[in-house]
Formats: sequence, C-alpha cells, structure tokens
Amino acid sequence: MRSRAASSLPPTGSGAIGDNERGSEMRPDIRSTVALSSLLLLQGALACRQPVVPPPRPAPSAGLPLRGGQVIVATTADVTTFNEYQSTGEQGEADAIDLLFPTLMTEQPDYQLHPPSFAPRLATSWEFSSDNRTLTFHLRPEARWSDGVPVTADDVRFTFLAQKNPAVGSLGMEMKDFIKDVEVVDPHTVRFHFTRVYPYQLMDANDGHIVPSHAWGKVPFEKWRTTDFEKMMVTGGAFRLAAHTPQQTIVLDRDPTYWGSPRPYLDRVVLRVVPDLASQLAQLFAGQVNLVQAVSPQEADRVQADPDLRLVEFPSRMWGMVGWNNRRPFFEDRRVRRALSLGINRRSLVDTVFRGHAKLSSGPVLSSMWAFNHNLPQLPYDPDQAALLLAQAGWRDLNGDGILEHDGRSFAFDLLYPASNALRRQMALLIQADLARLGIKVRPVQMEFTSLIARTEAGDFDATIWVWVEGTRVDLTSEWSTPSPSQGSNNFIGYSNPDVDRLIAAAREEPDYSRAKVLLDRLQELIVADQPATFLYESTMLVATSRQLRGADINSAALFFNVDEWYWER
Amino acid sequence: MLRRALRRLGAGIALIWLVATFTFLLVSAAPGDFATRLTDPRIPPAARERWRRDFGLDRPLPARYASWLAAAATGDLGSSWIYKQKVSSVLASVLPNTLLLTSLGLALELALGVALAIVQLRRPHGTGDRLITLATLTAYALPTFGVALGLVAVLSYRLHLLPPSHMLSLEGELAHGWARLPDLARHLVLPVVAIGVAGVGAVARYLRGSLLDERLEQYVLAARARGCSPRQALVRHALPNALLPLITMMGMSLPFLVSGSLVIEVVFSWPGMGQVMYNAALGRDLPLLLGGTIVATAAVVVGNLLADLAYAVADPRVRV
Repeated sequence: MRSRAASSLPPTGSGAIGDNERGSEMRPDIRSTVALSSLLLLQGALACRQPVVPPPRPAPSAGLPLRGGQVIVATTADVTTFNEYQSTGEQGEADAIDLLFPTLMTEQPDYQLHPPSFAPRLATSWEFSSDNRTLTFHLRPEARWSDGVPVTADDVRFTFLAQKNPAVGSLGMEMKDFIKDVEVVDPHTVRFHFTRVYPYQLMDANDGHIVPSHAWGKVPFEKWRTTDFEKMMVTGGAFRLAAHTPQQTIVLDRDPTYWGSPRPYLDRVVLRVVPDLASQLAQLFAGQVNLVQAVSPQEADRVQADPDLRLVEFPSRMWGMVGWNNRRPFFEDRRVRRALSLGINRRSLVDTVFRGHAKLSSGPVLSSMWAFNHNLPQLPYDPDQAALLLAQAGWRDLNGDGILEHDGRSFAFDLLYPASNALRRQMALLIQADLARLGIKVRPVQMEFTSLIARTEAGDFDATIWVWVEGTRVDLTSEWSTPSPSQGSNNFIGYSNPDVDRLIAAAREEPDYSRAKVLLDRLQELIVADQPATFLYESTMLVATSRQLRGADINSAALFFNVDEWYWER
Repeated sequence: MLRRALRRLGAGIALIWLVATFTFLLVSAAPGDFATRLTDPRIPPAARERWRRDFGLDRPLPARYASWLAAAATGDLGSSWIYKQKVSSVLASVLPNTLLLTSLGLALELALGVALAIVQLRRPHGTGDRLITLATLTAYALPTFGVALGLVAVLSYRLHLLPPSHMLSLEGELAHGWARLPDLARHLVLPVVAIGVAGVGAVARYLRGSLLDERLEQYVLAARARGCSPRQALVRHALPNALLPLITMMGMSLPFLVSGSLVIEVVFSWPGMGQVMYNAALGRDLPLLLGGTIVATAAVVVGNLLADLAYAVADPRVRV
C-alpha cells in the first residue's frame, strides 16, 4: 500500500509535511512498498516474488489475554470519508479505513535489511507467471462482508476499476498505471495483468483497500465524488462502524463475523477527536483516552515518569532538511551549500530541539531502510572549513559590516518555515545564530502552511525548513530528479545533476534489489557530495499508551498494525 | 412600510453578494489551492495536477466565479472539497452546535453582567464596586484560551467535577433521546462559562456607566420621590433605559453566535463552525468557505435588523 499521511488538512495546523511536527504528520503510514519478498530475494533471483509466511504470533507475556474491552485513541481530526478512493489520505482516516476494509496482503515493517515483505490477508497465497507479467492471488473462501455477502474476485476487480476511473479521481490512480487489467478467474482467484515487469508489481497490485462491489457498485463512478458512502457502509475488516458523531467520535465495534485470523481481543476501538495536542495528553494523564499518537519530545519525560503510562518510541519515516533553492545565485555553487551544512551545528540542533528523540540525518534515504548507505560520511560541524569554502566561492566581508559579500550582493536571505510549528521555529533560530557566525544574515520567516507550499512549489523562496514523510518504496525520482514540467515534481529546490538523474532511472528499473542497492549507494554519495539541501534529522515517533494495554506492536507501518493482538491486562 | 422592508431586504442581499464576491477573490488570490497540500513524495506529482483539473482550479478566475455565482443564486452552494458533502449539510451539521454554545454563552454574559452592574450600583465607588470592577476588567483582559484552559485544569483535572471536552461523553453518544440531555448539560458548563467570563466585563462596565448616568435623571428622582426604594428605582426605572445600548451590543454579537469561537472549540473539542471554517481556510476549501461566509453575513444582516426592531419596541421614539 501507499501512504499519504503527509498531505492532510486537519485542524490546529497539523497535517502536511510542515504544520505540526508532532501532529498527524508524525503518524506516517507506511505503505509504499517494494514488491519483493525477502527469502528468495536474498538469492538475488527475479523469481523471488513468493508469499512469505509470517512468524507465528508470540504468546502474550503476562498470562492469558483478557477478551473484551475498548481502547480510546485520541486523534486530531475527524474522518471526512470512509471511502479510500475519495480520501486525501489524512492519517486518522487511513487508520480507520484500514480497520474497516481488507487489503489483499499486509505489508510488513521489515524493510531494514530488504524491501518489505507481505503477509497474507484477504489473499492466502499468490504467484507470478513465468514471464512475471501475470500475478495470481488466491482469496480466502470464507471471507465475508459485514452483511454476509462473500468477498470475491469480483470485488477485487471492481476495486481496480474504481481506482483506475478518472471520474472517481483516486489519488493512487497512477499506482495502477502498469496494470492492464484484473481478471476474475473464479470467485476466489483473481489475476493481475501487467504491461511491464518492474520491482514494485506486488506493491502496486496491493495498493488500496478492497471495497464491496455489491453495495458500492450501485453508485455509478461519476457520482462517487458527491456520494456519502457512510450511508451505505458495508465493511470487510476486523471492525465495523458502530457510530460516528462528526468532529467528535468514531466508534468501531469488533465484527463478530470477521473471517480473518487471529480475531481481535478488543471489543471496540474508539477514535476520539481532540484537535489540541496538549488536551490529548491531559486526557491521557486523566485516563480519558488510552492512546496518544504524537507525544512531543518536550513531554516525553513526563509520560515516562507516569507509572500508568507507557511510551513507545520507534523511528518514524519523517525527515527534515533545509532546502536551499539551487536555482538562486546564493546557492548555485555547491561549495557554498557544503559550507552552509558545515556551518550549522546539526548535532546540537537535533539534540536541543528534539531532546534526544531524533537522529541526525545524513542523506536522502532514511537510515532505517535497506537501501541506506552505511558508509555515507556524516558532515561534521566545522565553521573554519565552512569559512574557507565560502572564501573560495568568492564570499568575503569587504565593507566590514560583518556580512559576506560577493558581486556587490550581501549574503542575506529569508528562511521560511510553517507557522504554528514550534519545533521548526526553534530550528530556524538556531540556524540563524550558527550562520550569523559565518557572516551570513538569515531572517526566519514563518508562513501559513498552504502558502508556504505554494511559494516553495513555485520556486519563490531562498531557503526553507522542509519535512518529507517517506513511503517504503525507495524511489528518489520525485524529490531528487531534475524537475520535469510535463510530469510535475517534488524537487522544489531545483536540484539537477545529470549523473544523479541517470542513476535514479536505472535504480528504479532494477528488479534485483541487491543490484539496485549498488546504484542507490552511489546515488546517495553523489547527492550528499552536492548538498542540495542540508540534511537535518530523522525524527522518532513517540506514542503513549495506558500501561495496562498489552500486545500492541505499534510501528512505523501503521498505528493498528497488529490491533488483533491488543488486549487489556487482567 | 412594505417598501422600507423590501429596501432592507435588497440591501441585505446586496451585502451578502458583495462579501461573498470579496471572499471569493481573496481566497483565490491567496497562495496555494486545494491541491497544494497533496504535496507528498508518495503521491505522484501528476496526481496533484489531475486534482487541479478535476476541481476546475485550472479554469480562469472569471469562469470559476461565474459558475459558482450561477449555482449559488439558485441556492446550490456546491460540495465541500474537504468533507465531500453538500456545503449546506456540512453547515447544517455544525451550526446548531455552535448556536447552542454561543447563545448560552451570551445569555450568561448578559445575565451575569446585568447582575454585577446592579450590585455595583448599590454603593457606587465603594469597596464592592471597586473589587467587581477589578475582577470584571481582569476577566475581560484575560485571553480566552487562558480562561478555558484554567477552567479545565481546575474543574476537570484537579477536582474531577466536569468533563474537559466534547459535547457528549462516550456513553452519552451511544445513548438515545432524552438520556443524553444531562450529559450534554454537564459538557456545556465549562465552554459556556469560558465564553461568559470573557464577555461579562464588557457588559458590566457598559451597564454600570449608563446606570450611573440614568440614576441622576429626573424620572429616577421622581420615582424615588414617589416612595420607591433605591433598589426599585434602579431596577424598575433606570435599568430598562440603561439597557438600550446593550441591544445594539447584542445585535453586533450575532455574527459571533453563528461563526463561533475557534479557540473555545479547539480547547473543548466542540464540533462547531469555528473549527470547520478554520479547516476550510487552511485547506482552501472554497465552496465551504463561501457557504460559511454567506451564513455569517446573513447573520450580520439579520442581527442589525433584529437590533433595530428591538430598539423600536424598547424605545417608541425610534422608527425602523
């Protein structure tokens, strides 16, 4: 599955890659995947795409799990639709949809050593044809929708048609570009036909939840945009929608007819909308909610000190940088960009702002990914070297005002960051102070978030503190390839290096992950040498739960990754 | 009379059109649009462009304005881009929540303000008067979120007397009918008090001033001479006249009644207009923003009309 957490419109400024550092952007959902399974991949063969049997679930540690009970999860924003194909992918929405609808497989968060593998969900097994252009899934015969109608291959095909239909306008439409058709072989067998062979076939086939054709097929695709699907909720997950009070509460009850295994211990999951993060934490301390998804680093100690609470910390998929506008004269010269990175005390910045709850970032691939280059040099804090590089690039303080000049221009620029994000304001001030020592005048400018993106997208900026939330598919195209006007791009900083472009294209096409790794290692070296941006941090997620809530393996894959194993301690 | 009423109606409609048009232009001029926030490395950049086309954001401004106006003139406010529902049904789902909260808040503000002013006037410039003045001024100066958070900290988290947020408890939401009422009442107390406390200073100060003036008027002295007690003269004779300026003040509060308070709604997780409009503004949800603006402007128009009518009723010298 693909994840779209970073683009959301929730209140109190959380959401997209910029508003609220610890808001919903901190619940990255991890679904982009590389569709290669682990076992045979290690042998480096293309025919490696086989189902992987997940390890047996471990026995709960403290006695027998208690059946029943409810978990109240605080969330910043309400769900605007339960139809994934109308959704803009807000995190809370994606979490709720994942409890209500099945996918063919479940992506595993095992991407440290190899591209993530998949576990069976609606599909019990799957296999590729010998030419790898056809992928066949075998569905669980006992799978049922909440109204008792069987989940069949027709539903899988219907879902595919919805995903591909322009009138529906699903955000993930392009994910299905290379899937020509989905063929119903028999009620429990479905076949995906691909137009080409590429590494992400399994992931693209799995992208998106299966929706009920017998219920939603009554609405023509042209009317999906304006249809309230909540009035026709037929679900197929471990939970079903019991009640929804807009802007307040979503109550999900365990579906007694759920066909999957294991069956959840919990009877109910409640999503309680609490827009203010401070209020979320206050309610957690008061026992009114059982789980808070984004604890700020400042509050981590307080949570840890509370005997009734547990703090879960794991690497998020979010990382931050200072994006230098490579098209502007200030930042054209890579010596200057390198000097800026050397002149910012990144270690101290990360430790100060995140209080130890973040890692120093060193390059364009997350350090938790299999593709990360462990030999990448970490740039030190070296103001002397920075000053030397700036002098080599022609920046000198000629008029003695303490600010460097070059070609009659002073080295002074605006550093944009989203308003309502206290962490990034702190970062901006620290960067300002560090660069002032080099004779560079930085003016931190806070902006409303949508305006900030619009300006950055238009290239109308000098520098910005920017955050990306990455999927689990390693593809550097949108962020680091030379921007293409025809296809759009997320490379707002205008970085362009023909060698990098070539390598990105080659790595994207390479089906063998160990061969792709060689290309990706080289890519990371090139990008780090160019320093188109100053790589700042990879943040960790801090999730707080009631101590008596057991069995929860909350990780960067999804909040409810193993919700069927959550239980209350006796 | 009919002509005058029609003229007021026409002026009201013209005002709504003007404000909506102005909002349309302002939001369109703001950087970014609804698709801007889809910036995400996991979404193909092409999807962003596709969304722009799908929502008609690539069409020229006059064309977009013309089609919106044509639909709005027939009462069709379109669908919200964020909530994927009719704008009218989004507004209809939150407006009652806001009205309930703000009208109770304003009522509390008014009642408390009047009561305090009367107490103060027992002995003007005495210790009680000064203390109350100090207290109401402090309340007036305090930031709303401070008052709200303080109330929650003490009454909810320390003393466990009242719920800190939401309209209903979880049990309340799952209950039906009248069983919800006591639960709702408990949840209303803190936000209503927070709104009331913030505004009571203004009402009390205003009323105290005009009561001080009225107290020395001939008709009040005459009432005293007829044997009224000072309290009766104040409450029965001076107060109705002193209340007149408050009618204007309350008329001006009508937009607040409808638009709600973002701060109060966020602190108390109250599902009202404030939050919805704030999200709409951040997300550049143009149809919803325009719908909300129209409702708020209509409230201004109606508020003014009601204030004028109330004035006419209260003071026969005034003609509407």
